[in-house]
Amino acid sequence: MSALVQTPVIGVRADPYLDIETYEGQGDVMVLNMGPQHPSTHGVLRLKLWLDGEVVVKAVPYLGYLHRGVEKLLEKLTYVQSTPIVDKNDYVSSMTNELALVMAFEKLEGCEIPRRARYIRTICAEMQRVASHLLWLGTFSLDMGGALGGGTTAFMYCLRERELILDLFEELSGARFHYHMMQVGGVRHDLPQGWDARLKSVAAAIGARIPEYESMLSENPIFRARTRGVGRIDALLAQELGISGPNLRACGVDFDLRKAQPYAAYDEIEVRTALAYEGDVYARYQVRLAEMRESLRIATALIDGVPAGPIMGRKPIETVNAVKPPAGEAYVAIDSPRGELGGWVVSDGSTKPYRCKLRPPSYHALSALPYLLPGTTIPDVVVILGSLDPIMGEADR
Amino acid sequence: MSLWLPMLDALRATVRNLGRKPITAMHPFEPRTRAPRYRQTFALLHEQNGDEACIGCKKCEKVCPSEVIVVAAAKRESPATGKKRGYADDFTLDLQACIVCELCVQVCPVDAIVMCRVPNEPGFEREDLFLTMKRLYANETLPRAPAIGSTMIASHAQAPAPAAPAEEPTP
Amino acid sequence: MLHALILGIVIASALLGVTSYYIWFERKFAGRMQSRVGPEHVGWKGLLQPIADAFKLLIKEDITPRTADRVLFNLAPLLAVFVALLTLAVLPLASGLVIADLDVGVLFVLAAGAMTVVPTWMAGWGSNNKYALLGGMRAIAQSVAYGVPLVLAALEGIAIAFFALRPGSFPYQLQDHVFILLTAGVVVMALVPVILSGSMNLSKIVAAQAGGHWFAFWPPGPGLAGGLIFVLATLAEGNRIPFDIPEAESELVSGISTEYTGMKFGMFYLGEYVHSLIGSALFVTLFLGGYDGPGPNVMALQLCWFLLKTALVSVVLLWARWTYVRVRSDQLMTLCWKYLLPSGLAVVVVSALWAWWREGGLS
Repeated sequence: MSALVQTPVIGVRADPYLDIETYEGQGDVMVLNMGPQHPSTHGVLRLKLWLDGEVVVKAVPYLGYLHRGVEKLLEKLTYVQSTPIVDKNDYVSSMTNELALVMAFEKLEGCEIPRRARYIRTICAEMQRVASHLLWLGTFSLDMGGALGGGTTAFMYCLRERELILDLFEELSGARFHYHMMQVGGVRHDLPQGWDARLKSVAAAIGARIPEYESMLSENPIFRARTRGVGRIDALLAQELGISGPNLRACGVDFDLRKAQPYAAYDEIEVRTALAYEGDVYARYQVRLAEMRESLRIATALIDGVPAGPIMGRKPIETVNAVKPPAGEAYVAIDSPRGELGGWVVSDGSTKPYRCKLRPPSYHALSALPYLLPGTTIPDVVVILGSLDPIMGEADR
Repeated sequence: MSLWLPMLDALRATVRNLGRKPITAMHPFEPRTRAPRYRQTFALLHEQNGDEACIGCKKCEKVCPSEVIVVAAAKRESPATGKKRGYADDFTLDLQACIVCELCVQVCPVDAIVMCRVPNEPGFEREDLFLTMKRLYANETLPRAPAIGSTMIASHAQAPAPAAPAEEPTP
Repeated sequence: MLHALILGIVIASALLGVTSYYIWFERKFAGRMQSRVGPEHVGWKGLLQPIADAFKLLIKEDITPRTADRVLFNLAPLLAVFVALLTLAVLPLASGLVIADLDVGVLFVLAAGAMTVVPTWMAGWGSNNKYALLGGMRAIAQSVAYGVPLVLAALEGIAIAFFALRPGSFPYQLQDHVFILLTAGVVVMALVPVILSGSMNLSKIVAAQAGGHWFAFWPPGPGLAGGLIFVLATLAEGNRIPFDIPEAESELVSGISTEYTGMKFGMFYLGEYVHSLIGSALFVTLFLGGYDGPGPNVMALQLCWFLLKTALVSVVLLWARWTYVRVRSDQLMTLCWKYLLPSGLAVVVVSALWAWWREGGLS
């Protein structure tokens, strides 16, 4: 990672370890539990808020409600069996989950991935980014506008566009959500006939609809009043906490793993990162919208030049113990729609990994909450939480 | 005025959709088209000579990450060829816990198990989602998803493969 | 007397029926705006959906929390519908077709509008639920401030400002200001047609707009601005998006209607839609000429004009509801203090000047 960016600290940092016993508020401090079940559709997150009137004084997030023991399960399964399990981690962007873990396995094994497979992986990852950001935009407007109102309208529009991408993926892999596309050595399914034409038409259709979302949201004074100046993260805090991805790029730090440590086919194409400088919710919104456009551009540019060749770079996998890498460890980080998703694997030479870990970007994004929430009111809490785009499935594993 | 114009823009964006056709799929009143590679339920196949294709090697049982397949293997004489070969006396698949990963299809050496392109009918009881051997062989008539083990192995071959092989479902 | 009673029963029942199908229309309309169909299968094109919904709500279990205040808890939904329907009594649906032709019609309407906060507060406090309390806290402080009945908007505005500027004297939250100011806004804006027509009697207001001189368009300027502000303030009082913080910030957590099940929840839901329709009808009466329209002055035709105009205004409010996101409560307060109230007062002054000049002022 590049040297820390020396930006001036914007605003005063809240104290996340405030001692409530000795706190002198204007009135009584009330404890409000935004419990694991709440309609803000980001998964099961418990936020314990201490409120002084309507203003949040202290916030403590409790994680673990969606912990399913994935990493322990991966110690019991072989390398071949682990891919379909991890794409349930970040259930909104399955391709990138599989990619991180499979690339870690390949680094252990040292196998070469054919160029065609790398192109297919990149195209899938980029279209997955678009789908993930569309879902984020929909649920974000839902948080702001409510279940009966303008938020639902934006939600329906975003999901309508996302359906086009899911249909594409269904043609490619056979499933709409959990694809199991990647395997050690390459990809499992090859591009069907005519898929490139369909991808280009889908990209054109979504690209034509993005201005509609902007007209409903970007310039709307109500939306701007809700999001500008709210939930400002300064770049220093973001880097200290390990926040990455659109959350970091909205603070002005130009760090994109697709450019810093190119993987798959990213070294063959130019990636323009979206940057914003305010670090508030509006900036994160703008960054994700720009990333959607950029991903569509990358996917359409790559699909024309997919080289011919095999899609698997090793012996085909026909048994459960087919992958047996040498002892060692490997860490591979990729840029998922949420940030830096890292796959770390330790091997002891057998067909089952000794230890697997997926470093989730949402976990680090959530750790910013005790710094961001004090001083805001409850409607702001929901907006800030939504803008960080946490997915509890990957934060808890 | 600059305050009101974006508000009117938003109203126009919403009302424009009144003129567009709704995208709701009126399932189950209208048939829903699925992609050719859509995979959901399973079928066991017979060979050309009428024999059951499954040789009871249990590779699918070992590879399943959710452990939903249970195979009871045995060796018998084949009525078609007269030679002794492996069979599966009982083959069950619990569709409730299946994560639809296609690994069993991929590892099967004789392409006995395949996935079907139509979804399993929803049922009211747990037994409706438990595929017994009888049901698996009955599903043989359902339209199939094209990715079966041998096709995947072919596309994974080291030799350069054609650019975009067309994969049509086998009837 | 008997005539008014029967008329009242008939019109109120008709309104409740119309509200159910207004809900059906909203669901279809919102569905089409979102590229989907609304209810389709319950009856032809979903026309039996409201009946199915009502039936479903009736057969649900009626749960009252053990620690809830029984009287407040059970009375709040009834009051919600009652207060919403109250305004109907003075609305002239056609010339002569009014249940109670009060001389202080506007005052009655505003008083009933201010009362809508009472069932909200009762639900919030009586539920014994932190989230409902949070949603209803603003209503508590507001009912304290409105303890004394108010007559003139100006006096009300001054008194509230006086109280609001003393921190710590009441458990004031930011949102409390919101309702007070918005109700003040409605009151102030309702003065415009009163000034322009010279009477508080709603029938006379409608008569003054006869022949196409609707207050929204003539005199140009104050009427339109006043009407716009009135619409915003009505949206806010009826807790409609973009101003639905009491029940929605609550939607994100829970709501004042959290602890309510079955038909009690149905009452709140119905009350909200009734309030919305009545607000549109009020806007039509005060600013769009009521039952005035081209054609002979036959009662049936006038009724049709009234209903058509109300329907159009409600559809526009629906359209706005399904397009915009919610405004935060302190921003709403800013909107009210800095924009609505000063411009409202200016509009009142301009319309007063117009009325004075029309009466032969300078001469």
